[in-house]
Amino acid sequence: MATNGSPAAKVAVDVQNVRKVYYRDSQEILVLDGMNLQVPEGEFLALMGPSGSGKTTLLNLIAGIDRPTSGQVRVVGTDVGQLSESALARWRSRNVGFIFQFYNLIPVLSAVDNVELPLLLTSLPRKQRRDRALTALRVVGLADRASHYPRQLSGGQEQRVAIARAIVADPGIIVADEPTGDLDAKSAEEILQLMVTLNTEFKKTIVMVTHDPRAAGHAHTQKHLEKGVMAESK
Amino acid sequence: MKFVPFVLKHLRRNWVRTLSTIVGMAVCIFLFCTLRTVLTAMDSARELGSVTRLATRHAVSLVYNLPLSYEERIHRLPGVKRVAISTWFGGALPLKKESKSGTGGPDFSNFFTNLSVEDEPYFQMHPELVVPADEMKAYREDLRGCLIGRGLARQYGWKVGDTFYLESFIPPYRRREGPFEFVVRGIYDADMVRDPAADNRVMYFHYKYLYEGTGHQTEAGIYVVELDDPGQAAAVAKSIDALFENSDAATKSETEAAFRADFNALIGNLGLLVNSIGLAVIFTILLVTANTMSMAVRERRTEIAVLKTLGFSGRQVMGLILSEALVIGALGGAIGLGLATLIVGAMPKVPGLSGFVNGLPNFGLHWQVSSQGLGMALFIGLAAGFIPALSAYRSRITEMLRQI
Repeated sequence: MATNGSPAAKVAVDVQNVRKVYYRDSQEILVLDGMNLQVPEGEFLALMGPSGSGKTTLLNLIAGIDRPTSGQVRVVGTDVGQLSESALARWRSRNVGFIFQFYNLIPVLSAVDNVELPLLLTSLPRKQRRDRALTALRVVGLADRASHYPRQLSGGQEQRVAIARAIVADPGIIVADEPTGDLDAKSAEEILQLMVTLNTEFKKTIVMVTHDPRAAGHAHTQKHLEKGVMAESK
Repeated sequence: MKFVPFVLKHLRRNWVRTLSTIVGMAVCIFLFCTLRTVLTAMDSARELGSVTRLATRHAVSLVYNLPLSYEERIHRLPGVKRVAISTWFGGALPLKKESKSGTGGPDFSNFFTNLSVEDEPYFQMHPELVVPADEMKAYREDLRGCLIGRGLARQYGWKVGDTFYLESFIPPYRRREGPFEFVVRGIYDADMVRDPAADNRVMYFHYKYLYEGTGHQTEAGIYVVELDDPGQAAAVAKSIDALFENSDAATKSETEAAFRADFNALIGNLGLLVNSIGLAVIFTILLVTANTMSMAVRERRTEIAVLKTLGFSGRQVMGLILSEALVIGALGGAIGLGLATLIVGAMPKVPGLSGFVNGLPNFGLHWQVSSQGLGMALFIGLAAGFIPALSAYRSRITEMLRQI
C-alpha cells in the first residue's frame, strides 16, 4: 500500500484547470469549471456528488472518451486532449479499462468472447487471446461461466464479466461509472471487494464515480464535486 | 479474419430479420440473373445468324404475308442465288395426343417452332441442317412428311415413321376438317460449328402441304434469300425493298440476325421492360437492406459506444458494420445465383416456356451474368450499409452512452 497517496508516488491522473462546456441547442451548459485533480498511481479514488455535478464528465475526460473545452488532462503521462481520434482510441485500448453501471456486455457474445473483445485490437494469436480472457475470468471468479451468454448471468455476474473485460488488456488505470448502481447490496459488496483486490493485489489505479457512500467507503480517497468544482476532500 | 466470428454472431442476433433480408436479396439476384440471361440470349440471337442469307418480310409487320409472285421477282435480282418460302405455322399438339380433332383444341404448353418451307431451295441454303440422304428422300416423297431436329425428337420421344397432329392458332391455317397430320420422315442434326445459331428443336414441313391444305389461300410468311456474295448483303436487301416499294405489300429485307431480333421484338420492347423490372427490384431491395442495416445499427448504439470505449476506432466500427452488410449481400447473392442456375437450367424443359427458350441460341447462365449478379449483390450490401456505418463512424461515445 506504499503507493496509495504517498508523496513519492507518480501521478497517474493529472487534471489541470479543466473547463468543460456542453451546448444544448443554443444554450451553453458549464459542466466543469477550472477543475484540478491529481490521482497518484495505485490510488483508489471515489468521486461523489449530486446529479449534474460533473463527476461522470470528469470520469469521461480521464478515460479519454471526451475532450476538455480548455485545460489539460494527462493520464499515465499522456495529454489525452492532444491525441487524434484514432490515436486516442489506440491509447484507450492500452491504458484504460472502463466499467459501466449497466455492464454493457455484448449480448450475442459469450462471457469469454466479451472479455476477449479488447484483445482483438492486439496482435496476439487466437490461443493467447483466449488464454488471457480465461485468466481474467478466473480473476473475477467466473471461469466456470466462460461459455455463458449475458442473459444467462445475474447482474453481479455480468458486472464481474465487465470487470474482467476492463482488466484483460492489463491497463494501468480503471475507471468505473457507478459500478454498483444497478446491483443488490450483496452483489454490490462482491463487486467492491473485487475492485479493492484489483487495487491492492494488481496495483491498478481506480477512479470510481458513485452516489453510494458505502461504495465510496471502499476507496482510499473520496472527492466531492458540486456544480463542476471540487468541493471537499476526505 | 479475427473479426469474422464477431460479424457473424451479430448477424444471428435478429436472425428472422437477417434471414428475410438475405432471402429478399436472393430473390433480387435471382431475378436479375434470370432476366439478364434471357436478354443476353436475345442479344446473342441478334449477333449470330448467317450473313449469307437475308430474310425478306412484309414491311409493316411479320403478321402480314407476302404475295407468292414475289419469289420469282426476287430471284431475278442480281446477287441472289436462291429464294425459299418459309412460313411460320404456329402449330401446337392437340390437347389429347395422337388425336385428330374434337379434343378441345391445341395445347400451347407444348409449343415448338414449326415452319413450312420450300424444301429444295431451303435445305440447300441451310447446310447446317444435316439430314441423312435416305431420310431427305423419304421426306421429299411424302407430302405429309416432316423433318424434326434431334432435340425435338428427344423431347417428345419421336422417331422416324411416327405420326402426330398439329393445329395452328393462326386463323387462315386452321382447317374445318381438323389439325394437320404429319409423319416424321427424317431427323436432322444442327451443325453448330457451321452456324452457332442453328436450332435442333424445329420442325420443317412442306410449304405445298400447307398451301394445298388451306385451299390455296396461303401466301409466303417470309422469303429466305441466299446471296452470291455476303459482302453484297446490304445492296441486295436495298434492291429487294426498292423493287416492292410502291406495291401493296412493301418489303423489309434484313440479315437473318436482324430478322431474329425483330421477331423477338414482336412481344414488345422486351429489353426495356425487363431492364425496368430489374432496376425496380434492385432499388427496392437496396431500400430494404438499408432499412435493415439502419435498424441493426440504431438498436446497437450502446454497443457501438462500448466498442469505441474499448479502443475500437471509428474506422474499425465502420468496417464491422460494412462487413455485416457485405455478408448479407454475399449470402443473398450466392443463394440467388444458385436459384438462377437451377431455374435457368430447368427453363428449356418447362411447358409453355421451352418453345421460346429453345429458340434462343446459347441460352444459359453465363459467367458474365453470374459475376454481374454477385457484384450487384455486394454493391447493394455495401451501399445499404454505408450510411449507417458512416453514422456509427461519426458518433460520439458520450452522446451514445447518454441515450441508454
